[in-house]
Amino acid sequence: MKREGMWSLKLSTAALVLIPVAIGINYIGKFFAELLRLPLWLDSIGTALASMLAGPIVGALSGAINNIIYGLTVSPISFVYAITSVAIGLTVGIMAYKGWISNLWKAIVMGLVVGLVAAVVSTPINIGFWGGQTGNVWGDALYAFLLAHNYPVWLASFLDEIVVDIPDKVATIVVAFAIFKGLPKGLISLFGGGKKIEKL
Amino acid sequence: METLSLYVDRDSPVHRVDPISKLLYILAATAIPIILPSLLTAAVVLAISVALLLLGRIFRRVIPLISVIVFVLLTILIIQGLFRAGNVTPLFQLGSLIFYREGLLYAVRISLRVINIMLAFAILILTTKPSDLFETLVRKGLSPRIGYVLSSVLQIIPQMQNTVGTITDAQRSRGMETEGSLAVRLRAFIPLIGPVVMSSLTQTRERSIALEVRGFSAKGKKSFLNEEIQEPYHRFIRWGLLLSIILALVWRVAA
Repeated sequence: MKREGMWSLKLSTAALVLIPVAIGINYIGKFFAELLRLPLWLDSIGTALASMLAGPIVGALSGAINNIIYGLTVSPISFVYAITSVAIGLTVGIMAYKGWISNLWKAIVMGLVVGLVAAVVSTPINIGFWGGQTGNVWGDALYAFLLAHNYPVWLASFLDEIVVDIPDKVATIVVAFAIFKGLPKGLISLFGGGKKIEKL
Repeated sequence: METLSLYVDRDSPVHRVDPISKLLYILAATAIPIILPSLLTAAVVLAISVALLLLGRIFRRVIPLISVIVFVLLTILIIQGLFRAGNVTPLFQLGSLIFYREGLLYAVRISLRVINIMLAFAILILTTKPSDLFETLVRKGLSPRIGYVLSSVLQIIPQMQNTVGTITDAQRSRGMETEGSLAVRLRAFIPLIGPVVMSSLTQTRERSIALEVRGFSAKGKKSFLNEEIQEPYHRFIRWGLLLSIILALVWRVAA
């Protein structure tokens, strides 16, 4: 298996087959979050896992297709946030490749970075699409409070998003990390993730 | 075979239109109100979308789709009406809360835009079989491997959801707690999601072998199982939609 670094566009069949499973995992994460009434979305665990296993391109594709399919089957709003999912897939893929999944603490840091990236990417979409809110009760309450005290819209919207994104993404990355560490090595090498392959 | 989709099987003029035209309609319905940002444009596009939904006899199915959105739009209406920077003209008062004209107008504009986009998407989603949509995209040049990925998601997700049900029951019967404090509920998450993920990922190995054996990555032109249905009026609709966007641009530049 030839590895041309993390930006290789040669998608193996295994990597492509991973994408629907990653999206399924996203759906399941969301389902359990609702079933267990957790105050988190947990709808990008699959995307993060796909990035860890097969790199940023596959992760980004998983994110994009996830939002497209969710948009077609549940709620069209998801189409609008496809870019955020792509950003999450790219961030996790790049950081995982650079070794940020070697232990739990690094994974938590990666979660913080991903949360920040997601908030930064989502805020312009939130502002352009519906004036800065996010549809989340707590975030929007904060937004209303900040707006009432004459904070600028971009700041209120950014804080609205980040207050929800950081806990959610840290939890997401930690869960994806836990799953990744629990996978048999054979499965990891199937997708091309992990360390560089040594040749004799 | 169970697939995930909101498609409503009816025979209506809207159902018979090809998916590309509906995609172009979404583009037009989104772009034109942005190019010509007036309440009149938004209202006209909204009326057209509603008419198409009624024509497709799927209007009632849209209600659950947009009910979630409507709630968020209400909160937008309240928050922008009360707190938007630049609110100077009071419109009405509820107790000690003053609602301003500028904020409310802004919120109304946002709401119309959001509802327009949602309805345009609904027209596509409710009247097009996802498999037809993906097949049309592959015909137009989308990589067949990506086309496969898109179609397979719709089949794999119901399978995984069934597995989830089985595993949840199994874990519960072994005494795992799913009710109680937040800590209890958090602890239940991994034992539930772990087995499902493991079994699904293991299946991918078999699936990728099965695909390879059937020539998934083979070079060369792929053929299609279904005949392509091309009505002459489809082209008319597509060009009409593109033309309307161009006209809107011209109007905006000229006016």
